Amino acid sequence: MSGLKPRLERLFGVLIRLSVSERLLLSSAAVLVAIGVGMLFILGAGYASSCRSPALFVFGLEFCYNPIETYLVLLQGAFGDSFSLAVTLQWTTLLLFTGLSFAVPYKAGLFNIGAQGQFVLGSLATTIALLWAAEIAPSGTAGRLILVPVGLLAGATIGGLYGLLPGYLKHRFEVNEVISTLLLNFIATAIAFVTIDRYFVDEALEGTVSRSIPVEATFTSQLFPSSANFSLGVFVFGLLLLGGFYWLLNNSAVGYEIRTMGTQPKAARFGGVNERFITLFSMTVAGAVAGLGGALFIMMVLGRWMTGAPPVGFDGIAVSILAGNNPLALLPSGLLFGALQSGGQAIQFQLGIPSQLVGVLRGLIILLVATPELFRQLGIQLQRRGLITIEGGRD
Amino acid sequence: MRSEFRTAGKWVGGFLAVILALVVASWVVPPESVSRKVLDALLDTSYASATLRVAVPIAFAAMGGIFAEKTGIINIGIEGFLILSALSSIVAVVGLTNAGLSPQVALWVGFTVGILASIGAAAVFGVFVIRYQSNQVIAGLAIWLIALGLAPFVSLVLYESVNSPSVGTFGTWRIPLLADIPVVGPIFFDASPMVYLMFISAPLCWYVLAYTRLGRYIRASGDNPRALDTAGISVSRTRFKGVLISGVFCGIGGAGFTLGQLGRFVGSGETSIGGRGFLGIVAYLFGNYNPILSTIGALLFASFDALQFRLQQISELAIPQQFFRILPFVVVILVLMFIGRTRIPAVLGEHYDDDE
Repeated sequence: MSGLKPRLERLFGVLIRLSVSERLLLSSAAVLVAIGVGMLFILGAGYASSCRSPALFVFGLEFCYNPIETYLVLLQGAFGDSFSLAVTLQWTTLLLFTGLSFAVPYKAGLFNIGAQGQFVLGSLATTIALLWAAEIAPSGTAGRLILVPVGLLAGATIGGLYGLLPGYLKHRFEVNEVISTLLLNFIATAIAFVTIDRYFVDEALEGTVSRSIPVEATFTSQLFPSSANFSLGVFVFGLLLLGGFYWLLNNSAVGYEIRTMGTQPKAARFGGVNERFITLFSMTVAGAVAGLGGALFIMMVLGRWMTGAPPVGFDGIAVSILAGNNPLALLPSGLLFGALQSGGQAIQFQLGIPSQLVGVLRGLIILLVATPELFRQLGIQLQRRGLITIEGGRD
Repeated sequence: MRSEFRTAGKWVGGFLAVILALVVASWVVPPESVSRKVLDALLDTSYASATLRVAVPIAFAAMGGIFAEKTGIINIGIEGFLILSALSSIVAVVGLTNAGLSPQVALWVGFTVGILASIGAAAVFGVFVIRYQSNQVIAGLAIWLIALGLAPFVSLVLYESVNSPSVGTFGTWRIPLLADIPVVGPIFFDASPMVYLMFISAPLCWYVLAYTRLGRYIRASGDNPRALDTAGISVSRTRFKGVLISGVFCGIGGAGFTLGQLGRFVGSGETSIGGRGFLGIVAYLFGNYNPILSTIGALLFASFDALQFRLQQISELAIPQQFFRILPFVVVILVLMFIGRTRIPAVLGEHYDDDE
């Protein structure tokens, strides 16, 4: 038995230092298993609900939904035509921002679970700033040149401050940032609701909906159908941001300090890393990026503030964890979750399967990616039974 | 331990001082003024009863959290356990009532089903974090997010709405004689069975942790697992027990809140649990892992949560309902600032391999 452990470590790498290919393997395995477990949920739901024409018969049991068909519809709904593709990319764009919001503090050893709140308050600030600015800004291109920066800046600033707050609480009062960011999400939702409901509500519409922001501040669609509300320019901006953060984390002095604090906190302290600065900096940047996502959500997608913000912030956690918190890997990971979001709508409309299924898949993927040991032990089991042979294999 | 109770004494003293100040103020303030109405609402016995009811899910979540964390397992998944328990209890009650069972029997069976569901979820969580060494914070978060998706999903499949139909609640149990005591009687002795359960569980948890063999193992598993291992006790098993007990209390919290107070499951937004599990986490940080002090913390947060039902009725205030929803969260963040560093178990969040 004693020889087993070092050999396995050679085979699978030390778990905390997974190489890129191992990361990729782990992430794909997690997604596949999550999809498999999702199938069981679809079967269960199909068994529990009643329908006129069951889609599937197995062992004399009737199931309303066919899992394979469900995933095909999901895929079709995510990439089937240019409209679906645009919606997928629209979600992906937003997820790049909230994904970054989790990834950057994570590199410094901090958990930012508050991207949702930062996103919501960012979108609120953008809406308010644009509604105010609209009254003084000129129309046409000149107005656009003023309004777009104002909107983006408002979202990023307020989001950044809302990220700075838990950072400050962490540094000054040793408040655990997991708890504080979690709680701040609940506060943000209520603040946004009350503010819009009290001061900016559009009387002509039902529910808590703000007045429309000026058209000069909105991003219009290029190449894709305008009804999809997806701007290619914003997507490219998101990609540039990913590249920028990749560079920042891997090639800059600040990035080095962030990574040192995340992997070797003690060494960082002795090495003179300014813990205070890194904590405040990474949390503020995280908030600002999430707030920017909120700004773009208003300026590209909604055009006004509405209650019931989508869980983009929580999805961002999943996106980042699946990407191994690597900024560049956020793109494929964001694409997957973007596809789940838009495909989730399709399975709801076409098959009547609640789109909340996507939320379940999201949680399962996070759980499985956080558990590399599961797949390692699975590998060992399979190897023992002779089902697979791994290089350097058995005695 | 003794210094902790001195702190508790200070809190109880402070609480009585606040009540006294309110009573004095209500004599001074002119009648028919808005502040008089606010004072009357706060000094009403029904506000105190509401606080006790609202504290139930927070206090049980805190007790659940303590058992997991004392063994060395960070349990952020508490909120998820509460949600799953809340939904399962309702599903069971609706099903049993439709099957013709009497409402009271259905409620108690539903309550049990809720607890079992929570234990089941805790078992899954335990297997992942103990057997397969998941990152505990992320796994807990995942449990919450899964519950947040799964509960409305199930509700939609069964009831075609994210909200369940309404069922009855346990109502209150009136204890003869004691309930006739003025002021104290209606608050403490004409309460929901869940409130009684809370007042029984808190000292029981404290006793188990402080004085029983299981309690000693649990504390050792979080503070010095090697010593426990050397003594021949499996750390993994102790931790798994801790997580399961955590599931039991979270189940009582979720089902007790749903069947004792709300009477339905609401699946929109952050569900009807709405962060009460997270408030529970802060409650045990507030109580420094002491179940009795944590319950006092839960009562403190609940007193702010219960304000919304009271002050909303005073039309002159015209404070939006959502403002009251965030009040407990704001208070909790302020409290967190003053708690600062708590004496957490030494190896919290670290995996331990039993020697074989």
